[in-house]
Amino acid sequence: MSSLLVVIFVIELVVQLVNTIGAATINNMLWRFYLSFPTPLARQFADQRKKQKEYLAVRHDLNATSSQDEFAKWARLRRQHDKLLDELEKKKSELEASRARFDRYLTAVRLISTRGAQWLLPMWYGRKPMFWLPYGWFPYYVEWFASFPRAPLGSVSIAVWQWACTGMLALVMDTVVGILGLVAASRQSNGAKQKQRQKQPVPAAQAGSGKVESKKDL
Amino acid sequence: MSAALVNVDDGDAMEPTLQSILDQRSLRWIFVGGKGGVGKTTTSCSLAIQLAKVRRSVLLISTDPAHNLSDAFSQKFGKEARLVDGFDNLSAMEIDPNSSLQDLLAGQADGDAGADMGGIGGMMQDLAFAIPGIDEAMSFAEVLKQVKSLSYETIIFDTAPTGHTLRFLQFPSVLEKALAKVSQLSTQYGPLLNGLLGANNALPNGQNLSEVMEKLETLRATISEVNAQFKDERLTTFVCVCIPEFLSLYETERMIQELANYGIDTHSIVVNQLLFPKPGSDCEQCTARRRMQKKYLDQIEELYDEFNVVKMPLLVEEVRGKERLERFSEMLVKPFVPPS
Repeated sequence: MSSLLVVIFVIELVVQLVNTIGAATINNMLWRFYLSFPTPLARQFADQRKKQKEYLAVRHDLNATSSQDEFAKWARLRRQHDKLLDELEKKKSELEASRARFDRYLTAVRLISTRGAQWLLPMWYGRKPMFWLPYGWFPYYVEWFASFPRAPLGSVSIAVWQWACTGMLALVMDTVVGILGLVAASRQSNGAKQKQRQKQPVPAAQAGSGKVESKKDL
Repeated sequence: MSAALVNVDDGDAMEPTLQSILDQRSLRWIFVGGKGGVGKTTTSCSLAIQLAKVRRSVLLISTDPAHNLSDAFSQKFGKEARLVDGFDNLSAMEIDPNSSLQDLLAGQADGDAGADMGGIGGMMQDLAFAIPGIDEAMSFAEVLKQVKSLSYETIIFDTAPTGHTLRFLQFPSVLEKALAKVSQLSTQYGPLLNGLLGANNALPNGQNLSEVMEKLETLRATISEVNAQFKDERLTTFVCVCIPEFLSLYETERMIQELANYGIDTHSIVVNQLLFPKPGSDCEQCTARRRMQKKYLDQIEELYDEFNVVKMPLLVEEVRGKERLERFSEMLVKPFVPPS
């Protein structure tokens, strides 16, 4: 049953990763990855970006054109601008809907493959021993706990294995995140100190009060 | 300058007159619109006079709350169509979109006073003021219904300044949607309401539900018919009036785009109040203004190459009265040639 051991571990790892990185970030990454394939949807998005660029160019031209001196040119640009804007808006909702659909699908898959599996596998393989404890090494109550709830006595049950994986991974994740956070914070504070050393503007109020004081001294 | 005003012979250039409107016999509704003070009323009166020469009967309606038809023809017009003095097939009327609703409702209440549905006016009034803009649309529809029954061959609308006009033309679509919803609801929940209201469908304040619904349904039918007619380019066209100045041009461009959105045909622009100083004139203001007008005129010709751009001169007299209007109207058909 070593493959089941690995499966459980991988599932718990995925759950922990999703929890730490965040579902939205993962969705975004996958979405970008999905769009990098030459699908019709990716082409639509590329078109939309192109159109957006075009729109910005037209808007730039429109702003650069004097409506009073070159009315005809301005009006033509304006028509183009309005048309492009209209098309962009129309397309935007469509594309957003496709994105939402993708997200929904992804969320469903993620939930089934992590939370679903987390619940289903222990139920299904409840009676199966993951591995056997060496005979006689542990007292009865440890063996009883290790085989909880339904695995044969003297073995480690799937639920306990899952629980152990979760606990270990959570600890590791916390440690990694903590270390990363510390590193980032120290780097930031270093940078901030340097910045402070570089620029130290005199606060206006202080400067004013200093002046007043010097006057008083005089 | 005169080169531009000479009738161009090649086929694809649009001629600088409103002859195409006169020739299009199928036209039933003609709107004349533009910014305030550019000469909409003068243009619509002139167009009406020219149309009266080639049509069996023409009706000129002013929907502008600041009525100018009476001033233009030096004759008092009211809510009823009245023949213009000196014409036997040209009538005019002035409607006020706001007050005509009040009149309409009051008249209805009076007319129905004998029957047991005297409160319908009140109900309609409640409804009318519940939806923004519906009052104007209703009165407009009512006027159109009247006008249709009067069997004029062509009807010219002298509309209120731009924004107002566009709102007016939008109403049919808006109202049609709202009313379709209302009547759908009433058919769905009609039985339920009937059960609640009792045997004779009486509403709490002595009104009758089915009567109100019937009324709304006929109104909706009228409006949707009018809507379809307005969007038919064989039946309806919009004449834009402007002066060669920035704001007026800006409004015209906006209006043309919006009309295109509503699907209302427009292919004529009347450029009014052009200055043609006599050669050798030393009027500084006139030449300066002429230069500015020339600039915008060139822009108009460049931008609206698919339009009949009619150029009308600024006269030294006020265009009022039948004779002057007739003289002015000639220039809508025969391009004005500036004195050289």
